[in-house]
Amino acid sequence: MKGGRLDLRKLSLAVALALVPALAQASFTLRSEVDARKIGVEDQLQLTITVEGSGAPDEIELPALTNLEVVGGPYQSTQVSIVNGRMSQSRTYTYALQPRAAGKAEVGVVRAGDQAAPAIAIEVVAGSVRPRQPQRQDPFGMDPFGDPFEEMLGRRRGRAAAQPKLLVEAIPSRTRLRVGEPLVLTYALLTQTSVADLQFKDPPQFAGFWVEDLERPQGSPSGEAATVEGESYRRFPILRKLLFATRAGTLTLPATTFRVGLARQGFFDAGGVVERATRPVTVTVEPLPEAAGFSGAVGRFRTSASLDRDVVPLGEAATLRFRVEGTGNLKWIERGPEVTITGARVFPPQAKSDLRPTGEGISGSRTWEFVVVPETSGAVEVPPLSFSYFDTSAGRIVTAETPPLALRVEGGTVAAGLPVPVPKAGALRSGGALPLRADLDRHPVSSLALPGRTVAALAGLALLVHAGLWGAGRWRVGARRRSSASPRSVRAALRDLERAGREAASKEQAASLVEKALHEAFGDVPDEDESERARAVRALLDDARFVRYAPQLGEYTDKVKDLAARAAAVVRRWA
Amino acid sequence: MRVARLVLVAAALAAPLFAGPSDDRFREANELARAGDYPKAIALYGELAASGEESASLYWNWAQAATARGAQGEALWALLRARELDPGDRAVVRDVERLRESLNLDPAEIAPEPLAAAGRWARRFRADLLAVALLALSLCAHALVRVRPWARWAAGAAWATLGLGLLVAAVPVAASFARPTAVVVRRAAPLLDAASPTAETTGSLREGEVVPVLESSGAWLRVEDNAGARGWAHVDDARRLDAPPAPLRD
Repeated sequence: MKGGRLDLRKLSLAVALALVPALAQASFTLRSEVDARKIGVEDQLQLTITVEGSGAPDEIELPALTNLEVVGGPYQSTQVSIVNGRMSQSRTYTYALQPRAAGKAEVGVVRAGDQAAPAIAIEVVAGSVRPRQPQRQDPFGMDPFGDPFEEMLGRRRGRAAAQPKLLVEAIPSRTRLRVGEPLVLTYALLTQTSVADLQFKDPPQFAGFWVEDLERPQGSPSGEAATVEGESYRRFPILRKLLFATRAGTLTLPATTFRVGLARQGFFDAGGVVERATRPVTVTVEPLPEAAGFSGAVGRFRTSASLDRDVVPLGEAATLRFRVEGTGNLKWIERGPEVTITGARVFPPQAKSDLRPTGEGISGSRTWEFVVVPETSGAVEVPPLSFSYFDTSAGRIVTAETPPLALRVEGGTVAAGLPVPVPKAGALRSGGALPLRADLDRHPVSSLALPGRTVAALAGLALLVHAGLWGAGRWRVGARRRSSASPRSVRAALRDLERAGREAASKEQAASLVEKALHEAFGDVPDEDESERARAVRALLDDARFVRYAPQLGEYTDKVKDLAARAAAVVRRWA
Repeated sequence: MRVARLVLVAAALAAPLFAGPSDDRFREANELARAGDYPKAIALYGELAASGEESASLYWNWAQAATARGAQGEALWALLRARELDPGDRAVVRDVERLRESLNLDPAEIAPEPLAAAGRWARRFRADLLAVALLALSLCAHALVRVRPWARWAAGAAWATLGLGLLVAAVPVAASFARPTAVVVRRAAPLLDAASPTAETTGSLREGEVVPVLESSGAWLRVEDNAGARGWAHVDDARRLDAPPAPLRD
């Protein structure tokens, strides 16, 4: 709708539906229409009987005609419409009627099944009141280059011959109001034909008004019937504007010109564009009375005030909300109430709005939020807050006032930045003197923070030291492993020990094998090595030497087997 | 930056020696502000800041005087500078929000560098010292593992403190990569296509908007506004947040 271009697709469909009557709610509907209520005795009248829906009789009887006679028709046409996925069918019977004499005429009640369309009264005057059809000049009564469907469908060829029946109008909801009061201006299209396009030729002018867009009226898709100067039209609201007069006096809304694109009516019809203008609208605007503290609000409003908490620690802030709710010109009102609280600093408010334009004005609420920082402990009172507005129903300025609010301020640790009350005026801020701090406090700990690069360097250094410690540990383990026997030596040592305990060798040979196996598995074991492993190996070597060099005083077989078994266990465990 | 930090450290160490005169000048500026002579008060605050006597309180008072003078952009800059110096000052944070709303700025328009917020968090909670302490602790635990291999708990402690220390250290390290920023202190400050007073104006900056500083050249800063437009702004129009202000000019 913005930019002067309307929702043409919908409008076109709606206008088309106006000519093809609306969908039936019952099984079928019946409608009888004429193209004029006032004609001359020399004019012809077009009677259209439309049946929509299913279940209607195949034939519709011609109604009783008073002072009229049929000179053409019936021309029958059938149309199928699909709207929102729903299919409907309609049949149209068109008759051409000619009045017999000046005076009253009537198309009688049309009946079909259980449906009936009311009778239509027609006024017939002398002569002709309708534009004449162009006379055909060909001797055969038919233009060889004419539209072959023209005669059959009863349509006129070309729009130059007869101007389409189209009107646009601007309708104000009132013509007398006060400054700040709303006025709804409705633009409507009245048509007898299908429209494909509708635009503002020039943007409408609203000098002296503040304008808000309203939602497009949700009327019938087929429009509503309207009669203008004896002609029947279908009326379609196009758009609505909400106007607020900003000054007193006689204000005129100038004519607004629309450019209307006509839909194609047949195969040989190229459509067309016509221009239509509304009539100027004159409105009388009365001034508002003047009063102290009156901010210019007009309408009907309610006010309320609240604190977000009842108790606040000293140094903390509370939020005071002042809310105005109602319908009127609240969008105009920017300035909140003056709030002065003894013992507290009040910061300039922040305004929040929840407003929407309606036919009665702008409805919703506007809330001013004040941050209140108490400067003393104890009870702090928020005084009554007032809001003056012009009450349209009472016709006078009304002042609404909120009840006082109590805020309890608890003492305690004073937060950083607690304002220092200075009883001196001059500051521009709301709430009085500047909340300056008395001490320089020049050494915040955080200002001596280590730079990021230093922290990164320290972290890297820590990682390096960790890596060094880890590497040293690995080196020690590696050295220990290097001092141990290889797996092959261990296997050879175990084989030797097995042989020493199994074969029937002398005790010297067996002990020698044990010694050899231990040396293969553990190498040289230094005397200073006091580990459990070293002690175990040394003990085995001592036992082997004892068996080897001891005099042969008895049987050593068991002793040798035991030595070999213990040596094998040590080798398995430590090597 | 390094010079500023050195100045800060030097000022902190030498503070007891010079506390008297600075405090007197600070009080003098406060009196001027209370008397309504905001330009002189701001000039005195500026001199103190330029001489290294920076503190959150100094910038708080500067912001109050600027607000009273009607210079909301300058007030927002002073408050943000105060927040840089003392991120834990709740009153400063509250006033920053109030001014932001008063200037109709989106929260993102005064915080174009998320890493800068991480830096403030690190300064507020001393993440640098915490990280160093944790890393030192991890080294001690690791060394203990090497000396006493049977002390198994020390190995776990070493790993845990090392991981935690690196994690905490990541915050100030990441914050050090934040681009420097500046605050537009003049209404509709021009954005120029070159660092010259005769350059063509390519756009204008919103008062109070915080813009990243891409580079600097003399008295000019190359900045990028929230819409992505890049250009040069004079230091009188866009004041840096990462350094004390230059001495004010008349």
